[in-house]
Amino acid sequence: MTTPTDEKTTSFSGHQLEETTRRPRRIWGRPGLVTAYAQDMAFFDTRAKLVAVCALVAIAALMPLQLEDDILKLLATGFVLAIGAIGLNLVTGYAGQVSLGHAFFVGVGAVTAAVLNGDPDGRRLGYGITFLPAWMLGAGLVAAVCGAIVAPLATRLRGLYLAIVTLGLVFIGQYIFAEWREGTGGRGVGRDAAVPTLGDVDLTVNGAYTEEQKLYWLMLVILVIFAVLARNLVRSKVGRAFAAVRDRDIAAGVMGVQLGRYKLLAFTISSFYAGVCGSLLYAADGHFSPDEFNLGMSVLFIAMILIGGAGTISGSIMGAMLLALLPRIASELPGFFPFISDRSTEHPNIFEVETALYGVLIIAFLLFEPRGLYGIWHRIRTYWKSFPFSY
Amino acid sequence: MKRTATRLGVALAVASLLMTGCGRDDDNGSGAAPGVTDEPCPEAVDKEKGCIYLGVLSDFTGVFKGVGVPFSEGQKAFWKKVNEDGGIGDYEVDVTKYAKDSAYDPDKHAQLFGEIQDDILAVAQSLGTAHTNAILGDAEKEDIVIAPASLASSWQLVDNVLEVGSNYCGDAMNSVDYAVDELGAKGVAVAHFPGDYGDDAAVGAKVAAEARGIDFTDVPSEPGAADKQASVVAGILKADPDVVLVATGPIEMASIVGGLAQKGFTGKIIGSIPTWNIALLGEKKLVPALQALYLQATSFQTWEADTPGYEAMRAAAGETPPSDWYALGYGSGYVMQAVIEKAIEDDDLTREGMLNAAKSLDGVESEGMLPEGAANYAGDPNDAVIRETAFNAVDPTTASGVKQEVAPFVGPTAKDHDFSESACYEQY
Repeated sequence: MTTPTDEKTTSFSGHQLEETTRRPRRIWGRPGLVTAYAQDMAFFDTRAKLVAVCALVAIAALMPLQLEDDILKLLATGFVLAIGAIGLNLVTGYAGQVSLGHAFFVGVGAVTAAVLNGDPDGRRLGYGITFLPAWMLGAGLVAAVCGAIVAPLATRLRGLYLAIVTLGLVFIGQYIFAEWREGTGGRGVGRDAAVPTLGDVDLTVNGAYTEEQKLYWLMLVILVIFAVLARNLVRSKVGRAFAAVRDRDIAAGVMGVQLGRYKLLAFTISSFYAGVCGSLLYAADGHFSPDEFNLGMSVLFIAMILIGGAGTISGSIMGAMLLALLPRIASELPGFFPFISDRSTEHPNIFEVETALYGVLIIAFLLFEPRGLYGIWHRIRTYWKSFPFSY
Repeated sequence: MKRTATRLGVALAVASLLMTGCGRDDDNGSGAAPGVTDEPCPEAVDKEKGCIYLGVLSDFTGVFKGVGVPFSEGQKAFWKKVNEDGGIGDYEVDVTKYAKDSAYDPDKHAQLFGEIQDDILAVAQSLGTAHTNAILGDAEKEDIVIAPASLASSWQLVDNVLEVGSNYCGDAMNSVDYAVDELGAKGVAVAHFPGDYGDDAAVGAKVAAEARGIDFTDVPSEPGAADKQASVVAGILKADPDVVLVATGPIEMASIVGGLAQKGFTGKIIGSIPTWNIALLGEKKLVPALQALYLQATSFQTWEADTPGYEAMRAAAGETPPSDWYALGYGSGYVMQAVIEKAIEDDDLTREGMLNAAKSLDGVESEGMLPEGAANYAGDPNDAVIRETAFNAVDPTTASGVKQEVAPFVGPTAKDHDFSESACYEQY
């Protein structure tokens, strides 16, 4: 797509081609032509992608100057959920280990962050660590350790059996969270979530910028970092091993992929992402209770990666954003469909529609677009790439 | 690379133009403070007056919808009357635009508070103890005054919470003292919800039982009808107490009373104030048991009380079905009104002004709607706390289904208890 500026590639002699195999070069007008393995594996395999992603991030970064606070809050929540969804996609979409226990790891992250950040003189256990990266990564690490403890199960079980065992994890987790009142506040009470501060600036208090604007930027930055890390992971040796385990674990084992090691790695990294997600998820509301980390939340994450696209990082983000915005989308429906009410006393109302929409989306995507939003995007891209000869 | 840079530059420029071109609406209305506008209220009586918006975080669909709905109606009626009588200064007050249903879920409560907190001057109703605690940190950061629909023993320790009436902990202490002194009880059991409300009553009962040297049994309950309360009833029967204290919702209380009556329990069952709801009179089979066993511990009067405030309230209620929660919602308005009036008088109708006004308040003329000594926020917390409790018994012939059985009294335990240390529920 771009004109090579290097003099060497202006002509196509045999010598130049040899040169290209060592140092990947782009050929003008042939964006699909890949001449080197490194090129194939590149972070942005085409210049168009690089430009598009940079533009998207730039636009996202400017959004808070334009959008109202209530939408910013939803988007910020979407970013945090996206971190969790990427985590689940790593273990389920890439490594093929179905996990229904994601809510447990999110819960571990939320509780750990709240405990690390909590007021030492407060009502609940707290260590008063205000440095954001410390409690965020700490939450991730504790969740990762929990993931590593659970992972050996995955080396013994697979498919449905693994799903059921991880489901058990959610229930065990709920019991522990409910009983550990010192740490979680207990059922129906909960505790204050970790408060994000940068230096002396409390991001949850309106200042020159509002709480929602500041949190939006924070979550965006963290999401970009974690998305880049995940993308790098999946195009590395580890990522290829994950895919091999997912596609046929026996074959992968025969080829020399250490199944136990990679399953352990997948669960640990996935849990780390879930922990980070949990540590930030309640920053805007400032409060959470242990009732949150239930099966419903696990299913929500599964829905995100199914709707977004299993085995893709961008799909995880798209799915998370869609589901985070779903309540808002549902609340806009009465404008288009007058028979839908926005009062909970009338039927059908937006709350019912939202619940139904959630189910319909999962079913519809599985039936008609198994590759999720990523699949839709992929088809649009292919269509325009071959325009006007698309068929 | 140059072209990429150019494109990126163009894209950024276009995006920033788009983003900043229209700009977002960053001002907080036309007034001086959040929640105060020069524009009239949506349902203004006098279109010339500005509007003060108060937030309402209630329960319209959850365990305590029987409290939240009438409470909110009572508040609406109170402010309607205030607005019709000329408002406060140059303003009328609105409690409907930012009324939200948190369905007795603390997380939802915190979330909804986040949604409305930039648009309100104060919170006229925050239903639930753990729920109010969930928003307290954020509210304190922004000096937002909260009137709780909760009577926990922690509120007198917090500057920005405008509590009215006795707390669950003190009521439970008085209930145990009454049980010992008047009923000769040797043992007491407490069935209570998990969480701050239930724990507050449980700790009060425990403190009193220890002080009076009688047996104490703690029986945790959880929201849900008869099937959920079967183990609670069994637990109580096993402990064989003479008096049972209940700190749950009305349905749970009714199930416990029904279950105990069925097993031949003949002692008294004293419920915290939220355990009563007039809708229970619809359970015809249960009414005799409720009449025989149940007492409601409260520091408020009942619907038919003969005071100017109650009279005005009954007039304002019109066709609305009588409910003591309606009366409480209506009565709580006096305190918020006094705080707003004081803030206007100090020429500081802002959140800080409201907080300062609240802190300087040492009482309120409530025309008999609130207990004696209510709304003393200037005084020492331990002196200002209301220690009186009265008991209501079920009487289907009255308007709100209960009538005062035992006149307000203060038992020895509550009298000597230091409420300025920490909330009772924190000691659970």
